[in-house]
Amino acid sequence: MRHRLRDPVTGLLFVLPVFVLFLIFRIFPSLGAAGMSLTNWNIGGEWSFVGADNYARLLGDVNFWLSLRVSLVYAAIYVPLTVLVALGTALLLNQVVFMRGLFRGMLFLPYVTSFVLAGIVWRWIYEFDGLINGLIGKLGLGPVAFLEQASLVLPALAVVSVWKGFGYSMLILLAGLKSIPASYLEAATVDGAGAWQKFRRITLPLLKPTLFFVLVIETISAFQVFDTIYVMTGGGPARATYTLIYGIYDHGFRSFDFGYAATWGVVLFAIVLAVSLIQRRFLDRGNT
Amino acid sequence: MTLTSSSTASRPLARDRAAGRAPRRRARWPLAVLLAVLSVLTVAPFLAMLIVALSPAGQPTLPARWPETLTLDNLTRVLSASGFVEWTVNSLVYSVVSVVVILLTASMAGYAFAKKRFPGRDTMFWTFLATMMVPFQATLIPTFVLVNSLDGVDTFWGLIVPTLANSQAVFLMRQFIMGLPDELFDAAKVDGASELRVYLTIVVPLTRPIMATLGVFVFLWHWNDFLWPLVVGQSDATRTLTVGLTTLRTEEMQLSMLMASATISVIPCLLVFFLLQRYLVNSIAMTGFK
Repeated sequence: MRHRLRDPVTGLLFVLPVFVLFLIFRIFPSLGAAGMSLTNWNIGGEWSFVGADNYARLLGDVNFWLSLRVSLVYAAIYVPLTVLVALGTALLLNQVVFMRGLFRGMLFLPYVTSFVLAGIVWRWIYEFDGLINGLIGKLGLGPVAFLEQASLVLPALAVVSVWKGFGYSMLILLAGLKSIPASYLEAATVDGAGAWQKFRRITLPLLKPTLFFVLVIETISAFQVFDTIYVMTGGGPARATYTLIYGIYDHGFRSFDFGYAATWGVVLFAIVLAVSLIQRRFLDRGNT
Repeated sequence: MTLTSSSTASRPLARDRAAGRAPRRRARWPLAVLLAVLSVLTVAPFLAMLIVALSPAGQPTLPARWPETLTLDNLTRVLSASGFVEWTVNSLVYSVVSVVVILLTASMAGYAFAKKRFPGRDTMFWTFLATMMVPFQATLIPTFVLVNSLDGVDTFWGLIVPTLANSQAVFLMRQFIMGLPDELFDAAKVDGASELRVYLTIVVPLTRPIMATLGVFVFLWHWNDFLWPLVVGQSDATRTLTVGLTTLRTEEMQLSMLMASATISVIPCLLVFFLLQRYLVNSIAMTGFK
């Protein structure tokens, strides 16, 4: 009897620290983002209610549409590339026994480092007198302006993010591959199936849920790229790398136009939510 | 006689091996070579960074040519440069305090969510999970305005406290503790153990593996974190290493010094990686932790 009374009180007490932290620093700002997007909040903390003005401004803002396009193009390059690299390396790790642990560790290594470090090292790699131009210069090629050319800069940035992050998806896919029963593949071998057929007819269908999870995670992270852009391009050249997040930072902490910056944040949230909901729908359909 | 019979008996086996196994092995070594090449390419940027960091200042190095000698001069010069040690200490404080507080609060909450009944428990838990859907960048502005209005900008609490509400940590702890048998907790209660005692003598020791994993991830998240420290840490007093590194410009600084700074910043990550790789790898595979 005493326990029944004691349980709710201690339960609440144990949750209390986390509850307070969440209420103040996650839930309140989440609601606050929506609220602030309806104001003209500025650096001095003065604000007045402006209704949907920020959203109207957003729809008429050339730079918003430009940044949406940059984010979409970046995602369109980054997501397939990282999934392909992760899948390829996972398949290799699943096949090769020789020094597997070492190779897995080497491929995973960039994941534990920071995007800032990746940005600093790769900025040098891409520079005119940097690593790549130095190497291709010896072959009589180049120099290539990777970060100064609008057409090359997004692929160049995508490569950096792929390098930094593919190890995570690789490990998820490797776990997915390991869960495929060996007997299926052996049976197919006995029936005379080739490597490609086995991959196409057995591995790929069974790996689909894992692949989908990776696809969604990587799509969301594509829309969240910031650190490498801050370090390597600063949104340039000519706004070619001015993504949605960069827009939030730029409006918030360069122009101190907090109300409008919050509006960009709401759009980012809407996109991430849409990606998650689409994923849900696909998964539900896959299960029935 | 016995010899010949055994040799004829082994012949089909050998033929089997030739027909069945050897082709497979022959088919696989190119894959091993490909894997080795990809692995070396992946670590190559780190090696290049290290070589430049160890090159004597003012002498030609990569990509023009290999340095003739290597030296630790750049590393020691970076460590004596103003700001750098301060940033490193700040990053350590940011990461270690976060690890301690998140492990403590998340394991307490995880225990309550998993094993206690109290009003609003499930609503509260799912609300926490729902906040996972809101990317931090989307709430960057209101969080900054909130911390600013509490005079938390450029303070340690302003840097650390907003990052302590970690839904992934709470979720993981709850899932793990739910798997622990109820009988353990009932037995302790029958023995009249206080709740604090149950937490300290049952929850903490039994969750040690998941605490280790979570601790590693929280450390890496905070050590590598950038956007929040960038907007909150506005002077050297609270600036973390990632933010400090971005203030170093190649125009004002030799490349070898920049790479030496980068090298030092990655050492804790490498330590974590070499000591705890197994934890990291297993937990990503099992929980999809990111």
